Amino acid sequence: MTTFWDIFHLLTETPIFFVAIIGLTWGIMGGALPGISASITMALVLPFTYAMDPAQAIALLACVYIGAEYGGSIPAILIRTPGTNSSAATVIDGYEMNRQGRAGEALGISLMSGVVGSLFGLAMLILLTEPLSWLALAFTPASYFGLGILGLSVIASMSGGSLIKGLCAATVGLMISTVGTDPISGVTRFTFDVPDLIGGIEPVLVMVGLFALTELMSQSGSGSMAQLNASIRIKLPSWSMMNKLKRSQFIGCILGLFEGLTPGGGGSIAAFMSYNEARRWSKNPQLFGKGSEEGVAAPEAANNTVASTAMIPLLSFGIPSSNSTAVLLGGLLMHGLIPGPRLFEQSAQVIDSIYVGSFIAIIAQIGVGILILPACIWLVNRPRHYRAGFIFALILSGIYTLNNSLLDLGIALGLGVVGFLMRLARFPVLPMILGVVLGHMVESSYRRSLVLSGGDMRVFLEDPIAVALLSLALIFIVFSLAREIRDARKAKLKEIHS
Amino acid sequence: MNKDLLSGAVLLAVAGTYYTWSTQIADSTLSDEIGADGLPKMLAIILGILAVCLIGRALLAMGLRPATAPAANAEEEEDDNAPMPRALGFLAFGAAYVLLLPFVGYIIATALLIGAIAIYEGAPRRSWIVPVAAIGGGLFYWAIFVKLIGVNQPIGSIFQGLF
Repeated sequence: MTTFWDIFHLLTETPIFFVAIIGLTWGIMGGALPGISASITMALVLPFTYAMDPAQAIALLACVYIGAEYGGSIPAILIRTPGTNSSAATVIDGYEMNRQGRAGEALGISLMSGVVGSLFGLAMLILLTEPLSWLALAFTPASYFGLGILGLSVIASMSGGSLIKGLCAATVGLMISTVGTDPISGVTRFTFDVPDLIGGIEPVLVMVGLFALTELMSQSGSGSMAQLNASIRIKLPSWSMMNKLKRSQFIGCILGLFEGLTPGGGGSIAAFMSYNEARRWSKNPQLFGKGSEEGVAAPEAANNTVASTAMIPLLSFGIPSSNSTAVLLGGLLMHGLIPGPRLFEQSAQVIDSIYVGSFIAIIAQIGVGILILPACIWLVNRPRHYRAGFIFALILSGIYTLNNSLLDLGIALGLGVVGFLMRLARFPVLPMILGVVLGHMVESSYRRSLVLSGGDMRVFLEDPIAVALLSLALIFIVFSLAREIRDARKAKLKEIHS
Repeated sequence: MNKDLLSGAVLLAVAGTYYTWSTQIADSTLSDEIGADGLPKMLAIILGILAVCLIGRALLAMGLRPATAPAANAEEEEDDNAPMPRALGFLAFGAAYVLLLPFVGYIIATALLIGAIAIYEGAPRRSWIVPVAAIGGGLFYWAIFVKLIGVNQPIGSIFQGLF
């Protein structure tokens, strides 16, 4: 159990403070770059965390996530280009406020609503994660298999309209996870006598390849972006304005909590839902779309809440509900940390660091957000051709840092090509990443269950937790499939009518 | 050729190749009933089935669509990605970096990468900014990775005797 003194000690410890500020700063700058999502910003920094203390490394990633969610709103407000997917809803009224000469006010509302959402999300993270994780103590290998399948069922809602493509991507991800040493017999598989492959392909390589390199390749040769006005400064909202915004912020927080807990939810869905609900419950719904302050506050509170609440299923059960939490899971696994109750027991310092680091990052966001805005504007205004070269060099240098291996660089570049081809053919990449991340757990728990039961498949039906988790996964898949069929029918009817 | 049809064919080939490799996994006396090759073989079969479904769906869609009609969803055919040769060209610089790194070392390889990408992405070739950004970038990253983080980046075989 974490005591007040543990927290106090962490708060006064210098490294975690610096880690939080560096993570926050990097997150805001990465999020502010159009095309660089929160997950890419996290994936870029992931290799650097390899040599770090695990607690500081995970805190750094969590703070990058928090920073990126705010950073994404800067170009959304200033140049009508969301820096991250979840800040897309902020464009509607944020950019309108900018056009009315109220850019500083919009940035201030975005910043403070983000702080409110983040604090609420952090409180929920602290309150809900540990109790939920204790459920995992009763887990048998069969339950872990059920959990792995439930995690993989997220694919159903992440398949971007084609369940077959999502399943294909997940299967390829599972295939990648089989490279290396077999978890039961110790036999090597698909290593082709290359010693560097005996340990398998690290999820971080897959993430960097599929997210960051694919994005760089896709943006190659694209035109220059609109330039930001360098003279803009943040204007923090007054108390009366914050009072006026409390209803929309509350809506954003609640929907952010709900979406963060839901596998496949994510910040963008939460942001758009809260924008709609804020308009529905607003005293001035007619102002939405015309520069409404509430129209900026609701989505920003929502996507910043998700940045914290999405960590609840991740830390409790190891289920990543979004791209960003998949990267965070990659960070945990890279440091040999397995989510669940043992993480709270054996690596309590990691959990404390996430809480304390996130708290520092959220509070520091106000000061850093104001100070860093000119730097963000400078960075976004750099010519795209130099920026691409610097980011590419940063990615390759970071990958080499992992194992000092040229093979890792080759694998990441190869996966960049795979990711680009997947993008061209409209295959979702998250299922593939989930396959890589969860593959080992699914295979080892499945085979251990059968070893323990003497090969009796009924072991999965006799374990109540396994039955519950497998049923949940089935329900999730059936609902997603039904939605896909319904959407396809609607599209067909629309086509016939047109 | 229809993208889904092509993807299905590629995935079918991947499934076939992966299955063939799975059959070459060595047996072990420590192995359980399923064996080290159990999951890989199952995954290959699943991917094969999914690939056939994808191909079937693509063929069905092509058959249902009138010959004169445009694509079912015109928006679907448009994308904002870079053309494939351009994107692959971008990545080729990464491959060249991997090949050069052991020979010329971290600073020079990184500087060459930054400069080459900048020109490839449209920086004026004769501008003095390109070499300055490239050399500055190489030194900047060397300072961060080697001096600050302490990573052993390659010195380069051509400089091996000098350091």
